[in-house]
Amino acid sequence: MASAPEADDKYSQAILPDFCAAGTILVILLVAELVAIVLTLASFEAGAFLTELSKMSMYLLWLALGGTAVMCRIRPWAEKQGNTQAFVICFVLLEVTCIVLAVVTYGLTVRFAEAVIIDDTRAGFLLRTIAISSIVIALAMRYLYVSSEWRRSIVLEAQARISALQALIRPHFLFNSMNTIASLTRSNPKQAEEAIEDLADLLRANLSAPKDRTTLKEELEVAAIYQRIEKLRLGDRLSVRWDISELPMRALIPSLTIQPLLENAIYHGIELLPDGGEVNVSGKRINNDLRITIRNPVAPDRARKRDGNKMAMANIRQRFELAYGSRATVNVEQTDSDYTVQLQFPCEESTT
Amino acid sequence: MNILIVDDEAPARDRLRQLLEEDGTHMVVGEAGNGKRALELAAELEPDVVLLDIRMPGLSGIETAHHLNTFENPPSIIFATAYDEYAIEAFEASAIGYVLKPVRRERLDQALELARRLSNSVLGDVARKSGIPDRRKHLCKQSQGELKLIPVSDVQYFLADQKYVSVFHTNGQDLIDDSLKALEEEFADTFVRIHRGALVAVSSIDSLRRTEDGRTQVMLRGGSTDENEGLIVSRRHLTDVKRRLKKG
Repeated sequence: MASAPEADDKYSQAILPDFCAAGTILVILLVAELVAIVLTLASFEAGAFLTELSKMSMYLLWLALGGTAVMCRIRPWAEKQGNTQAFVICFVLLEVTCIVLAVVTYGLTVRFAEAVIIDDTRAGFLLRTIAISSIVIALAMRYLYVSSEWRRSIVLEAQARISALQALIRPHFLFNSMNTIASLTRSNPKQAEEAIEDLADLLRANLSAPKDRTTLKEELEVAAIYQRIEKLRLGDRLSVRWDISELPMRALIPSLTIQPLLENAIYHGIELLPDGGEVNVSGKRINNDLRITIRNPVAPDRARKRDGNKMAMANIRQRFELAYGSRATVNVEQTDSDYTVQLQFPCEESTT
Repeated sequence: MNILIVDDEAPARDRLRQLLEEDGTHMVVGEAGNGKRALELAAELEPDVVLLDIRMPGLSGIETAHHLNTFENPPSIIFATAYDEYAIEAFEASAIGYVLKPVRRERLDQALELARRLSNSVLGDVARKSGIPDRRKHLCKQSQGELKLIPVSDVQYFLADQKYVSVFHTNGQDLIDDSLKALEEEFADTFVRIHRGALVAVSSIDSLRRTEDGRTQVMLRGGSTDENEGLIVSRRHLTDVKRRLKKG
């Protein structure tokens, strides 16, 4: 089943900074130099500060540049492995780089230096490098992780706020419904009255302060009202089959998700089929998850052009992501004759 | 005035009929629920005005209007739409009659008064501006009151004569009223001009062949050398044809 590449990209990008950029490299070198100063200050013998600092700087800058070069190459691949994995991979690789460079440095100084530069055994030098570099790298990683999570949550929240606005009913639907009602007021006043009541309920649900989640019972009721109004307009061309007896009605779902999906199924599917068709809404319980599937037939020549639909789908994906994170999936499957949206999310019942 | 109502939704048709019949000056001669039926009824009933919904399954309102224009005596057209920001802008710009749903009585009268025939170029303009695909999916051929829709996907090539354009498709050959230039513009994505009087579907070209006298000839899929006799690529169009074939 096709997942959503466009939405995934948007959220996963920029977990790690761009290590190939000049600005990032400058910051890293600065930090390395600061660490060198701290380490030297803590250990230098009287009068030898500058000599010690230059040795320390040379070593640390070498480590920093080596690590940055590795990160620069590995970052695009590491980011694809997911958030946590990316950080683990980076940590391990940086550690390995430090160890290799430490071994090389030790070998070089022993072989070529005339004076004693590193006053330690090989094992001691290695251990010190590993201990100090793991602490510094872990701190840096933690900092990057927190700041990327923070950026991500800000983006998600802003998007959710916009999404709530976008979830509002299509004007196309509103005006068509009014036209239907105008027609019914003469031919069938009772039906017209019911249609106005339904439309009012639907608008109320749409205009009320955006709730995060609502019960399935309420959400399905809104969808049923929507279906009744469309049925007046489309007559026999529209039928909807509800296979939802398995669903617990007290379970929670992000509000205004089923109704827009039904609206999509009608607007992009049924309405464009000369003889109409049947939308199938089915619900299943899978362990601790609920799975709701909405399937509609599409006109053969429309199957590939579904641009108008992307916004609604992106919107619903965001709301599920915000409510459940990676515990929910929103899948879209498209064939020449059918369009299917599948929502799967944890079953959490309302306590009220 | 004799009016034909075209809308895929029954309540919308009822509403227009109610408004039109109340008045008494107009007569609703028929109702159609889709574009194809509309063309058949229009050919049969010869209405003065066609009230045409834009968004319909099958043939859209704009495509239906295109086909109505190929009639010997094309009716005036008024579009109806519930909500189409861009289309409305285009209607205003091209002074095309339209009504918004729910339809208001005075607006309808006003539109009927100003109703006029629309040229295909005006329709194309509207389609482009409103983001509705302008390209027709069918060609319409009307002779002796009979209506024939030829799917564009079946067309292999168009040949222009002095006056008429012949369309060669998988089910035979027909004369149509469209000009080759207009067809070339409309189907620029899928057809390529090979000489002054011929437009060929890129997808139906099998290969290019060198003739004995040194000219280049288009070979159609499943066609024989004799059949493709008219399809010589002129020197002027040769590079373009090759480029299009390479692109697939």
